[in-house]
Formats: sequence, structure tokens, C-alpha cells
Amino acid sequence: MIWLLLFHLAASAALMAVGDRLGRWSFAVAGAPMSVSAAVALEATITRRRVVDTYQWVEGLDLTMAVRLDAFTSLLLLLVSGIGVLICVYAAGYFAAGTVGVGRFAATLLAFSTAMAGLVVADTAWTLFVFWELTSITSFLLVGHKRTDAGARIAARRALVITASGGLALLAGFVALLDVAPGARLSELESVSGGWATAAAVLILVAAATKSAQVPFHVWLPGAMAAPTPVSAYLHSATMVKAGVVLVAVASPALGETGVWTPLGVAFGATSMIWGAVGALRQVDAKLIMAWGTVSQLGLMIALLSIGSAKATFAAVAIVVAHALFKAALFMVVGEIDVRTGTRDINELHGLRRSMPVAFVVTVIASASMAGVPPLLGFPAKEAAVEAALGLQGGERAVMLAIIIGGSILTVAYTTRFVLGVFGPSTDHSAGHSTAVAPARPMMAAPSVVLALATLGGFAALGWVTGIVRGASVVLDSKAEVYSLLRWPGLTDAFLISVGIVLVGAVVGTALAARLTGPAPRTLGADGVDTAIDQVVVLARIVAARVQHGSLPGYVLTIVGTAALAASPFLWSFDLGPVYGWDNLGQGVLAVFVAAAAIAATRVRTRLGAALVLGAIGFAVTGLFVAHGAPDLVLTQLLVETVVVVGFVVGLGRLTTTFPRIGGLWLSSRLAVSALAAGATAVALVASSGRLGMSPPANSVTHRLTEEAVDEGGGKNIVNVVLTDVRALDTLGEVIVLVVVAVGILALTRTRPDEGPEFEPDAEPDLVQPESDVLVVST
Amino acid sequence: MIARRSPIVQLGVRAATTLALVFAVFAFFAGHNRPGGGFAAGLLLGAVLVLRTVAGLSQPLRPVPTLAAGGIIAAVVALLPMVWGDVALDQFEVETTLPLLGKVKSGTALLFDLGVTAIVVGLVVALLEGFGAEQLAGPQGRDE
Repeated sequence: MIWLLLFHLAASAALMAVGDRLGRWSFAVAGAPMSVSAAVALEATITRRRVVDTYQWVEGLDLTMAVRLDAFTSLLLLLVSGIGVLICVYAAGYFAAGTVGVGRFAATLLAFSTAMAGLVVADTAWTLFVFWELTSITSFLLVGHKRTDAGARIAARRALVITASGGLALLAGFVALLDVAPGARLSELESVSGGWATAAAVLILVAAATKSAQVPFHVWLPGAMAAPTPVSAYLHSATMVKAGVVLVAVASPALGETGVWTPLGVAFGATSMIWGAVGALRQVDAKLIMAWGTVSQLGLMIALLSIGSAKATFAAVAIVVAHALFKAALFMVVGEIDVRTGTRDINELHGLRRSMPVAFVVTVIASASMAGVPPLLGFPAKEAAVEAALGLQGGERAVMLAIIIGGSILTVAYTTRFVLGVFGPSTDHSAGHSTAVAPARPMMAAPSVVLALATLGGFAALGWVTGIVRGASVVLDSKAEVYSLLRWPGLTDAFLISVGIVLVGAVVGTALAARLTGPAPRTLGADGVDTAIDQVVVLARIVAARVQHGSLPGYVLTIVGTAALAASPFLWSFDLGPVYGWDNLGQGVLAVFVAAAAIAATRVRTRLGAALVLGAIGFAVTGLFVAHGAPDLVLTQLLVETVVVVGFVVGLGRLTTTFPRIGGLWLSSRLAVSALAAGATAVALVASSGRLGMSPPANSVTHRLTEEAVDEGGGKNIVNVVLTDVRALDTLGEVIVLVVVAVGILALTRTRPDEGPEFEPDAEPDLVQPESDVLVVST
Repeated sequence: MIARRSPIVQLGVRAATTLALVFAVFAFFAGHNRPGGGFAAGLLLGAVLVLRTVAGLSQPLRPVPTLAAGGIIAAVVALLPMVWGDVALDQFEVETTLPLLGKVKSGTALLFDLGVTAIVVGLVVALLEGFGAEQLAGPQGRDE
């Protein structure tokens, strides 16, 4: 299984490198790994094979990558990869020949598919988290694919901020969950309760809600429609937005018993189902209708899964399958209409029934499935949901029935309005017979036809579909074994309710189709999110301007002051007891010399004089090391002093010969910090030397170092053996720091003043939404 | 400019170069058993290279390739043992007898130290040239 993900990744990297040369053929390359995944998933679905594959990354830290293929995950993998293949075909038709950036698009799409495949098969919390974040990032890249389009960039940023915040909630939630259910595989989680479990339940539900665009986190999804339609059809209907649903399904066995899980999950689901459907009714852009509809449908899935009854879980899995098929098909049709007519506005579109017959038939099938009309896969799925709601007790039953009936009526209504608006006759008789259309694009039509056939075939082969859905549900809840999807349930309550839903919805939809012709309202809250993001950027600039003020003495003062404060804990262990004058007289003489030179250094007026005095101090300190008998320190100190001298030789010529005169507050704050630093250093030295005089204990590492330096490290110089062998990893880290410092120095010094900074904060107005007045912060 | 004004500097730096090179090589190899080592050798080499630039004796060393080479050497030595399943940075020692030098013992730690040296040289050069050593040598740089 892991090899499959690696194969995906390798193909994606290869496409990233050469994709642009392949043009639209890159979709063939992208489709290949997805086809393999789909085949593996199909085989596992049919044979009911269970595969677990693990790779231990860090032993002892429980950082293990584990993926599993069971009835549930293989079904999801089949949807992700199977629809992915169709999307690749579709995208090859969507992009015109010679479009720039097609290779990049295909590579990112494949990378997303990798992340999504990894997410659905993940079997440890960390595996799931990593792939979860990868879907956020790849989704960001795909939404912002048209990178010159300011609207797309803002939408991508909004989507990233919301879903990545959800990722943080997920991380916190997993930490809390693994605190009470430690180390368990996701498939073996056991029911937990208590404070941490409650916290985990809330955080994980919030994470799921951000990803699955649940109210109030849904605001990113309509904006994400700025992406090319293949992305909308793949990520924002069939796959990525289902990640939250998958998460709720996976975490449900562990957290379903916590008091908050069901109420919070149902609250997210119920508000989203209703508000999403209302939103869909108010839109005039066909793609936005579909996006809001997705919010609504995902709400139903989340609500059903968080109820926790086996029947509801079964219904949710059935809806996941049916929704993936019909919603992807509808998005594909909308994209085809967009490409062939140049508009997605249902007020401008009319009469496409004759000019786009294939799209019309596909739309009717997919819409009817979405509305829950037989003989299509959506019908038994929605029946199962109504049955599940009827099977509940008390308040849960009332709430679930209300949202399923209310939400479904609205769903039928917006579906009717969409179909009538696009394919029906014009409401405005002065306009032409039907909207003009460009020639057919078979590559775009074919995948949607396949999905429509699958929707039909799913109903025809309902027994087979039932088996798969049941198998998947049993993984989540073993009691789901007894349920079936029924082709003809008989005149049950649920059936009568379904008939009522379709009839009322159709009437409402037809009535509203004529009335709702005005422009659509802006997404409530979306501007707020953008404003908040912009404000954070403004705040960051203000803070950066204050902290990075550019005054070198200021920086030095800050650093020294902080170091002085850091030494303050030593005050508690301050003890003058073990302090003594010197080991030999030479040390005393040198110490006096160093002190005198240090005082002189503060008195000299010229820079050359200061450099000389500092050099004298350095060499006197070297002398101290000699007197103490530390040849390694002597050598290093000597060489450092040499380098400093060369530095002065080079640098002094560029400075004024005397120090500038300073006074007032600046001088006194410098003096204060210097005094503080001097005191702190003295305290720290005395405190740390308190341990002198004691010989190291017998089992101390000091002895082992002396003994093993020659045998293990191959050298007699312990200091160097420590550096290059015993603690070589530290040295490696340190030299990497040195490289980073060097790169930083080069970056700073190679920017000549006449070149000017490459980045000017004010020179990015295209990142600002035109109508927003927030980012006008020219300073 | 200093260079053209002062043949003393040029002569001094030339003499210092030889001395410094010999001492750097000595410090590098002696490091394992006596004071010295890659860090010390790097400091010395770096300082002398910058001095040569200041005196107009040679073109300035380009620090980036040096840094990159050092980083790659250190990282490869660190990670290579993992290829055959040992822990990272595991030492590998050779002992051989060379003419003139007699019995010589060395290990991969020496290679690792070489990486450290290169990085320190790169850092010192980057740091001091940041102060403008190149301009100091005059617009034509090398003026022998």
C-alpha cells in the first residue's frame, strides 16, 4: 500500500518537472497512478481483502506510518481514485490546447490525489494528520491555480487559512485523544470518556467541520469555485470535502460516547444542511449552486455519522457513495456548459435541452439522484437516511426528521430551479430560442456520462452495492450488518415521506425559479474572514517594523539585556564560599591587566584605539588559558583573535575614525544594560564555579569519555573526539547553523543600497480585493 | 588600494600565507590527538584568504561553493553509515603505514572534520568580505 502512495508521489514529482512539455498529455500520466490505485481498491472491495502496511519511522516514539485497506477504506479509495481518473479525462477536455501551466496543474492534481488516498487509508493518527494537511496545501495550490487572478488568490488564501486552522484543531484533538487512548491504531480505537475525550471530540468535530465546509466554516467553499472546474468537481464535491466525513466516521467509535459528540455533530450538520440548501436556492451561478448544495449534503452526512446509530452510519456511507457519483457528474456538466456557452449564470442560460442533449440527460439523471428519485442510486440512500431518522427516539428523532425533510425539500427545490433555469425555455421571451453553444467536447462529456451510468447501474445492481456499503459500515459499526438498501421498500412511512419531499420540493423549486432572478447575495462571513486575514498581515507589519527597527546598537542591547535576564535564576544558587583568588600568580597579573584594558576600552575615543585595546584583552585572556593549562582553548582563542584583527583591518576603513557622541537616555540605558550584563555574568560565573573542587562522581560521563576516547573515537584529544565522534550529531547541527549564518550574511551584504530591497510592502495591490478598503496601509 | 600603497603589507601577507597554510594543515591533522582540529584550521585558512584579498594578492574566494561543499561532505559522512544499516555518524577507521610518516591512523571523523573546515572557511570569508574586503583591494582587485 505504501508503495502505491510512493508511486503516486514519484509520478507527481516527474510531472512537476516535465509536465509543461507534455501539455494535455500530462493528464494521461497523472491518470496512470490513479488507475492503479482504483484497480487495487476495486480488487480489495470485491475480494473483501484486508491489508495493513506499516513503516516504523522512529522507534520508541510511536511514530509509525500505517495504512490499511479494509471494506471501508477500499470503498473510499475506489471513489477517490476512480473519480480521479475520470477527472483526468475531463481535464484533458477542459483545458484548451496550449494552455500554459497544464503540466503544473496535472502534477498538483495528482499530488492532491496522493494526499487524499493517503488520508482515507491512514491507520494511525499521525499518518492521517500528515495527509490531512497535505490535502489542505494541494487544495490551496489548485484553488489558486490561476495565479494572476486576484480573486482566485484571495479565495485560495481564505480556504487555506480556514482548513489549516482546522488542521491545528485536528492536531490538538489527536493529542488529547491519544492521551486517553494511547498508541492505538485508528481501526482499533476504543470508546473513551472524560475531560480529555470531550476536548478531543470538540476539536476533531471542528476540524471535520472546517474541511467539510460546515456552517460557520463553510465560507471558503463558494470562493473555492474560482478554481478550474475539474478541481471543483474533484476536490470540492467528491473527495476533499469528504475528508471531514471520513474523520467523523473514523473517530466516531472512540468519541461517540462523549456527551458533546452527537449534539455538536448534529448541530454542525443540521445548520449546514439547511443553510447550504438556502444558499443554493439564492445563487444564480450554476457552479455556486452546486457548491452550496455540497455544503448541504455534507451536513446530512456529518449529522448522520455523529448520531452514532448503526442505521444512520449505514445511511451515511450510502449517501457518501451516491453523492460522489451525482455531484461530480453535475459539476462536470456545469463546467462543460461554462466552456461551451461562456457563462454559468442561470438567468442567461436557457433552452440547452436541445443544443446540449447529452449534458441534459446526464443532468436529469444526476439531479434526480440528488433529489432522491427512483430508479437511481440516490433514492435508496435517501430512503435509508429517512429510515434511520425514523428509527431514533425522542428529540434526536424530531431533529433528524426535521432537517432531513426540510433539507431535502430545499434540495429538490434548488435542483429543480437549476434544471429548469439551464435547460428549460427562456423566461424572457425577447431572447433567442436557446443560448448559443460552441462545438461539443467529447472528452468533457464522456466522464459525466460514465458517472450517470454508474448512478443508474448502482440502482440496477443494488444488491451488489448494498453488499459493499454494508461491508464498509460494519467496519465502523458492527451492528450495521442487518441493513440493506431497498429497490422498492413498499408503502412505508419513509417512502411516503420521500414522495412528499419530491413533490413539495418540485413545486417550491418551480415557483422560485421564476421569482429568484436577482443577483445573488455575497457569502455571509467571507468578507469578514478576508478582513481578519488582512488585519493580521497589517498587525504583522506593524510588529515587524517595531521589532526589526534596523538599529544595530538597539539589537545588541536587546540581546545582551535578554542574556542578562536569563542569568537571573543563578542568583538563587549564589554562593561565594568556593571562590578563591588564583592558582598561580600569573593568573592574577593577567586578570588585573584584562580588567584595566576593559576599562580603557570604554574610555578610548577612536575606533582604532578601541580595536587595539580589545585585541589586548583577547590576547590576555589567551594568556589566562595558558596559565590555566587549556591548550585547546588557547589555540582557538588565538585564532579567533586573529580573525577579529583581520575583520578590523577590513572593516575599520569604512567607519568614522572616532565614535559618535551619544548622550541622554540612550547613554544611560546602555550603561544600565551593561551594568546588568556585567553583574549577571559575575553571578553566573560564581554560581557555576561553585561545583569546582568536587571531583566528578565515579560513574560520571567524564571518566567514560577519557577511557573510551581512544578506543571508540580513535583520538587522544578528548575535546576533538567529543566534537567529531561522541557528539558529532551536535557538531553537524552546529555547522549547519554556521552555513545558515553565512547565507544570511551573504544575503545581507550583497544587497547594495543602490539595488534597493526586492520586496516592497506597498507594491502588492493585486493581493488586495478591489472593494476592500482594509489594506490601504501605505506608510 | 592598501596593497598599492603598502608593499610591506603584500610582503607580510605572502610570508604569512605559507606559514598559515603549513600550520593549518598541521592543526587539521594533529587535531585528533593534540590541540587543533577542523575548526581551528578553518579559522586560520579563512583569515589568511581574506588577508590575501585585502592585499590584492588573489581574487576573493567565492564562499557559496565552499559552504556547499562543506555541508555536503559533512552530511554525506553523517548519513552514509545509515546506508548499510549502522547509526548515523558511525566511525569507520583505517590504519596504515605510509612512507616517511610511519604508522598512520585515521577515520571518517577526519572527513567529517574536513567538511567542518570548509564550512568555517566559507563562513569567515563571507563574514569578512561582507565588510567589504573586495572593495578595499581596489576596483581591479588583483594587482600584481
